[in-house]
Amino acid sequence: MIIHANVFSYIIALGVALILGLVLRLPLLPDKPMRDSWTISAVFPTAVLAIGFYAMLYELGYQGYIVALITGIITALFAKFILEKLVPRPESEESP
Amino acid sequence: MNEILGIVLAAIICWFNFVLIDTWMGLPESPGVKGAEVIGRSVKKRGGDLAGGFFQGNIVCSPDASAGTLLASIACYAIGTPEGGLIAAVLVYFGNRICADPGYAGTTGALSITVIIYLTSFIGFKPEYFIVGMVLAILTIQGLYQTGASRLLGKLAQKMGRYTKLT
Repeated sequence: MIIHANVFSYIIALGVALILGLVLRLPLLPDKPMRDSWTISAVFPTAVLAIGFYAMLYELGYQGYIVALITGIITALFAKFILEKLVPRPESEESP
Repeated sequence: MNEILGIVLAAIICWFNFVLIDTWMGLPESPGVKGAEVIGRSVKKRGGDLAGGFFQGNIVCSPDASAGTLLASIACYAIGTPEGGLIAAVLVYFGNRICADPGYAGTTGALSITVIIYLTSFIGFKPEYFIVGMVLAILTIQGLYQTGASRLLGKLAQKMGRYTKLT
C-alpha cells in the first residue's frame, strides 16, 4: 500500500503545533521519568494529536497546507487550554 | 503472501511490538488502577509472577500498547494506512486518559504498528493479518496459561529493569 497522503501536510501540522506549543509555554518534553508523567508537553501529546486530527480531517475530505496549518494552531491551543479540563489527571493516586 | 504464514508472522511481530513497548513503559512496575492490582495478586496466588500479573492486569484495565496495536491495525484496515493508525493513536490517547493512564504506551504502540504495517505492506502483508495476529498474541498472554505467561513477562521485566518493587 502506498502512502497517499501529502507528507508535507503532516509535517506542517506537526511543526506548527510543536512551535506554537512552545510559544504557549508548554514544556518540550514531559517530566522525568516520562512514563509516569502527566505533564502535557509540546511533543507528547500535542504533536501526536496534531497529526491525528489532520488525519481525521484528511479522511473527511478537508486537505491541503492551509488545513494542516489551522489544525496545528487549533491543536496547540486545545492542548494548552482545554485538554487538562477535558481529561483531567486522576485526583488522588493511591500510594503503594 | 500465503495468508496463514502472514498471520503467524504478524502475530509474532505484534507480540514483540506490544510486550516490549508495554514493559519499557513500566506496566510490570505498578498497577495503574485497583483492578490491575487485584488481577496481579490473584495471578501470584495461583503460582504466577507478581510483575507479570500487574502487566496482565494493566492491559485489561486500560488501553495500553496491546489495545493500541489492535486498534491501529483495525483502523488501517478500515480507513487506510497511515491515516487510520494516526486516528487510532488519538482515540487511544483519550481512552488512556479516561482510564487514569498518562497514555504513553497506547499511543506509542499505535504509532509503531502503523509504521510496521506500512513497511511490511511492501512485502505483501495486509492490515487484516495484523488484526488476527494481535488477537492471537493477546490470547498467548491472557488466555492460554496465565500463570506461565506471567512468569515469562516477569523475567522480561527483570531483564529490562522494570521489575516491580512491590511485594
